[in-house]
Amino acid sequence: TIHIDSSAGAEDDEAALLPRSADEARHLWGHYESITRDLSLSLTEQLRLILAPTLATKMRGDFRTGKRLNIKRIIPYIASQYKRDKIWMRRSIPSKRNYQIMLAVDDSKSMGESGSGDLAFETLALVSRAMSMLEVGEISVLGFGDNVRVAHPFDKPFSSEAGAQIFQQFGFHQTKTDVKKLVANAISLFRDAKNKSSGPSGGGDMWQLLLIISDGVCENHDTIRRLVREAQEERIMIVFVVVDALRNTPGSAAAAGGAGSGAGNSIMDMSSAEFEAGPNGEMKLKMKRYLDTFPFGYYLVVTDVRELPGVLAAALRQWFAEVADTA
Amino acid sequence: MSTIETETHQDSTTQVRVRLTTRDADLALPPESSGPILVSTGLRRYALSTLVNTLLESEKPVPFEFLINGTFLRTSLDEYLTANGISAETTLTLEYVRARVPPSHIASF
Ligand SMILES: [Mg+2]
Repeated sequence: TIHIDSSAGAEDDEAALLPRSADEARHLWGHYESITRDLSLSLTEQLRLILAPTLATKMRGDFRTGKRLNIKRIIPYIASQYKRDKIWMRRSIPSKRNYQIMLAVDDSKSMGESGSGDLAFETLALVSRAMSMLEVGEISVLGFGDNVRVAHPFDKPFSSEAGAQIFQQFGFHQTKTDVKKLVANAISLFRDAKNKSSGPSGGGDMWQLLLIISDGVCENHDTIRRLVREAQEERIMIVFVVVDALRNTPGSAAAAGGAGSGAGNSIMDMSSAEFEAGPNGEMKLKMKRYLDTFPFGYYLVVTDVRELPGVLAAALRQWFAEVADTA
Repeated sequence: MSTIETETHQDSTTQVRVRLTTRDADLALPPESSGPILVSTGLRRYALSTLVNTLLESEKPVPFEFLINGTFLRTSLDEYLTANGISAETTLTLEYVRARVPPSHIASF
């Protein structure tokens, strides 16, 4: 955890392992928070509208006394010679629903090299601020690459200082992008968080959302697809936000002076080449469009942070609608 | 900060993004296939040559050699990355040229 120890020595050790100094992180957070402020407010407002109907009170039956008659109960009431007398409805308090939202941000080197790190910081500031202003539940932030790190745990309140501490942990230097490990770890973290909060006082439903912010370049699509299904079975919704900073930059083919450019470096133009053994044992090359085998059902490709509130709200609206239906 | 450890799975294959370029206008890839390509780091010259020929839709395959940062690739991509301390997070630019002398070890995959 990022909790700063009371002992100075531990603090130094911890700080030495972090990619950025506290000052730099605070400065960065201030910058990204201010440039995404309006977008954050817009996302908060859109989410409030999405959530409002699910939190509204409803008249529900069946009581012996109440405020309004339940028409559907009148005929059975008479037919039962006034014995089935639970014919009244009362204004019910909606069941308390808790949301846990986990933002997992790709901390791998490819993010830094493509300039997607900048877009990831904007996204992180925008989304975490919007979620905290909404006050619907708990937020956690993970960093992933070679390993998965908890940059902000669910049980810690969110603030600007917390935001700066999160930024401190991202350097975009990790030399692998292990999305498989991320999804596996997120599932177990969600399991723990659910157990913790559904203690004696809990009782309400728990709705869990994993928002992955990454350039989307990952391997082992089949294994990941199995994990995504596992998450779904545990009612963990996963939305993959592909930050695609390279969408509008020209390919380096043109830059190298070679002929034939056209397609850029964008994930939309990316393909994968795999050699598969044919019927006679010979190796055959199979070319596929990269996104055609992408293992996440819900994904959005974002090239500009200004698109985010809109597309994210649309994805979450869909999610909350499904959540409200099954509640 | 806490790091979560998990067991390593055996099915992990490493892949790397490559961008194929050439100085020879006659051998340039069509625009629709000039985007980055994700390939296994286990690939060597022969497999990459097959890849370029596939993209060029050549009727008679042309053997190609590959240059990374001005040096010919003589190993697998994985060995190249390791030897040069480069992670698979990078997009490798592979310049392809017609092989001058047909390599004798053409069967080595
Ligand atoms: Mg990466």
